Amino acid sequence: MLELVNKLFGARQTTSKEDAKQRMKVLLIHDRVNLTPAQMELMKAELLDVIARYCEVDPEGVDIRLNRRDNGISLDSTVPVKRVTAKAS
Amino acid sequence: MAECIVITSGKGGVGKTTTSANLGAGLALMGKKVAVVDADIGLRNLDVILGLENRIVYDLVNVIEGECRLKQALIRDKRVEGLFLLPAAQTRDKNAVSPDDMRRLVADLKEDHDYVIIDCPAGIEQGFKNSIAGADRAIIVTTPEVSAIRDADRIIGMVEAHDLPEPDLIINRYRAGMVSRGDMMNREDILEILAIPLIGMIPDHEDVIISANRGTPAVYDERSVVGAAYRRITNRVLGEEIPFPSFDVDANLWTTVKRWMGLAPVREAV
Repeated sequence: MLELVNKLFGARQTTSKEDAKQRMKVLLIHDRVNLTPAQMELMKAELLDVIARYCEVDPEGVDIRLNRRDNGISLDSTVPVKRVTAKAS
Repeated sequence: MAECIVITSGKGGVGKTTTSANLGAGLALMGKKVAVVDADIGLRNLDVILGLENRIVYDLVNVIEGECRLKQALIRDKRVEGLFLLPAAQTRDKNAVSPDDMRRLVADLKEDHDYVIIDCPAGIEQGFKNSIAGADRAIIVTTPEVSAIRDADRIIGMVEAHDLPEPDLIINRYRAGMVSRGDMMNREDILEILAIPLIGMIPDHEDVIISANRGTPAVYDERSVVGAAYRRITNRVLGEEIPFPSFDVDANLWTTVKRWMGLAPVREAV
């Protein structure tokens, strides 16, 4: 859809410096936290295990990543929930 | 009160030695007594950039191992009052020196100089640890390239982990033409990523190579744009507020069209 819109309005390719800046922002977060890719994957899997105890999630739509904040780093996650399975206690 | 400034970058070849030479000479031109120290043991180059390579008798390792007095190893630059070089050893390696050795050396140099400038080797190992050991503050040199910026970010973290104050940044090899085409990160992009204060910008200019060929830092050359950039950095190091001139090419539509047609020059630097 977005691609179609871009085509219709003749949006240009991004400039190489925008690519560089975006890539740097993501890369430097990962450099700074010192988590190996394997640890990062393990953390995601464990987080999903915990969430799955309470909700039925759609694994396709899961997006967990580190982002920059003004004063540090945040772990942002989008976890689509199909259904809340836990009974209210 | 003397101050020791380490010039570092992580990545090699971004301009640490050129910066050390020009800042050292610039401070001497401003009447300060300066010792520049080449901490790149085994790969010394500050002597060549300063044009003092033929006058080396003793080096940093000789001083640390007590084979000569500090005064004997310091080479006085005859072009300007108050500039001295302590060369690195060329036939030894970085493990010949420890951080404690460097702390003692810097303390001795500070007794007799206003500024001690340390030219740090590339990398994050022993040579880097030695270089920052005696420093009071750090200046990080980077270029507008992803590899240099990535390494600079890592070095900033290591400098702060060593209890030094927030370092200042020099952006070297800035190409205004590429910036205006969107093919090089500009000043704001880099500062947004690295988030430390800017202390200078150096255009990518042939003067850097010409001055290195001659062994005469560009800061001595009144007409050089690189020299002017280093004179501004010198004054900022001395605590003056010096505005940053824009290196950016005017990028309005008409000049862009003219440039496409080859009618307007692509100005790479002021």
